[in-house]
Amino acid sequence: MISDILLTIITMVFALMVVFSKKTVVSALALLMTLLSIAMIYFQLGTLFLAAIQVLVNAGAVAILFVFVMMLINLEQFENNREKGKVKLVISVLAVLVIMGIFALIINNNIEVLTANNIPDNSMKLLFDKLFSVYYLPFEMATVLLLAALVACIVITGHEKAHKVELEESHE
Amino acid sequence: MLEGILEILIKTVVILGIPLGALPIIIHVERRGAGFIQRRLGPNRVGPFGLLQPLADVAKFMFKEEVHPTHVRPFFYSLAPLVALTVALLPLACIPIMAPLEINGRTIYPEVFRSDMGIFYAFAVSALGSYGILLGGWASNNKFSMLGALRACAQMVSYELSLSTSIVAMIFLYGTNDIHLMVAAQTGYWFGFLPKWGFFIQPLAAMLFLVGIFAESNRLPFDLAEGESEIVAGYHLEYSSMKFAIFFMAEYIHMIALSALFIILFFGGYSILPGLDLIPQSPIITPILQMGSLIFKIAFMIWFFVWVRWTLPRFRYDQLMDIGWQRLLPLGIINLIATVLITYFRNQ
Amino acid sequence: MSSIYYYLSAFLFCLGLLGTIFKKDLISILLCLELMMGGVSLLMILMSRATGVLESQLIVFFMIIISACEVAIGLSLIIALYRKKQTIYTDDIKIITE
Repeated sequence: MISDILLTIITMVFALMVVFSKKTVVSALALLMTLLSIAMIYFQLGTLFLAAIQVLVNAGAVAILFVFVMMLINLEQFENNREKGKVKLVISVLAVLVIMGIFALIINNNIEVLTANNIPDNSMKLLFDKLFSVYYLPFEMATVLLLAALVACIVITGHEKAHKVELEESHE
Repeated sequence: MLEGILEILIKTVVILGIPLGALPIIIHVERRGAGFIQRRLGPNRVGPFGLLQPLADVAKFMFKEEVHPTHVRPFFYSLAPLVALTVALLPLACIPIMAPLEINGRTIYPEVFRSDMGIFYAFAVSALGSYGILLGGWASNNKFSMLGALRACAQMVSYELSLSTSIVAMIFLYGTNDIHLMVAAQTGYWFGFLPKWGFFIQPLAAMLFLVGIFAESNRLPFDLAEGESEIVAGYHLEYSSMKFAIFFMAEYIHMIALSALFIILFFGGYSILPGLDLIPQSPIITPILQMGSLIFKIAFMIWFFVWVRWTLPRFRYDQLMDIGWQRLLPLGIINLIATVLITYFRNQ
Repeated sequence: MSSIYYYLSAFLFCLGLLGTIFKKDLISILLCLELMMGGVSLLMILMSRATGVLESQLIVFFMIIISACEVAIGLSLIIALYRKKQTIYTDDIKIITE
């Protein structure tokens, strides 16, 4: 109970830091902390496997990609020299408040149904039984997607040709 | 409630105390081992056989002036060593040092964080290991530090792949994620003399994992992150006194945690060493023997680390990436596919 | 007491949406998209807990895979753009043709 509130507050603070911090590297690190605290919430809710996957993939690989790219292209050279759209900010805050209000209404009307705990004890085994019997095709598609993303990244960022041309020029 | 908290506290103290207490000894062994391998003496002036040298080092680190450069990013500069140490300590939480104990009808598990996916948790947490280094390198605001941190990070991310293929192969082989069940599967003998260790079934996976832990803990021959001849000292270039010492500790603890994982997967974890099980077992002797076996195995691994460090030269960076992506990863995938097929047909 | 997490998931989603609307550089926009993903997957897990339907946990599993792909490709596009134009701000890349 106290841990729920604490976790929520921690997640909210880090999420706010992601959006409102001035430095992009700070917001990337705050995103890492947000993802870790979401993993902790998964753990609290009893879905251990997804918590571990969240730490392994989202916090361990995705967030590190962000930090890595930021440090590679040295973001600080053009920080703080752009003004943020003030009007846009106000309007979007209002829109967010409206969405939150609608959501709160929905939750408050169904609170008993939503807070029940119906996860079976051996959920991990059931999960994988489903994954590898009914949903094996999506699973295979996900692996193909990963492979496609891998190839796409190499194609987009690789500049083998340009490098070679430079080398040849320098030799001449 | 109070009992539970007390239990967790005691476990935490023991699990943190053993590696932290062993650190000075490991550093001493490393120095003396270097001397032994290079046919020189090594530190031998402070105390008998130089045994008090680590203490003198600690005193030096504590009383040294802390140089705080002005061009760094202050908050992250102070945060980085702490992040590195914390993340290095986390995987130790799920490593059991003995079999579950039965006391007054209650089962007490020796690991702090008991879960049926212990190995998965340890691996997930050790994937965070590059943050401390990356933060340190970035916060130092120095080109050499940054280069070292980027190198370390790229290296850790690439070698994690081959490491994970070998872990998944072992999980398939044992059919479980639970460390206690894994160790139980490795207890006993084939033909009466060969211990049932995972190493003898999966030598290729063991090789991949071994190379992977060398790369993950940034040790020679993969210590590109701090290659002295090229980038001065890498990510901890701007750090001095206690902050540098904390980075140093984090590296050694990462090493201990990864070798503990290696031993659990491939060398039977806390299962008693062959020969020691001739001693008559009893509820008091068995846990001590198990603990002793685990510590002996880890100590051997640490000696192996030292041995390799002073024997092999450092790789070049493109060679490192070639080995990781073009040699180890395909080998790991082939090994994984073969393991999966064999397990499938054996269970038919 | 887990009802507080529903509000949290809505909050995360909306905050991410807000960020994607008013942030100016591409990396921050990608970060905020990740935040939205986090909110949605949290809601999925909560729903799976309330109803006992395991499919929504599977959806989270696939979402994590897809978000990894999305971030990898997005970041490589940003790097390619940076190499070409030396900027990552959305204002500077309004013009499609040179």
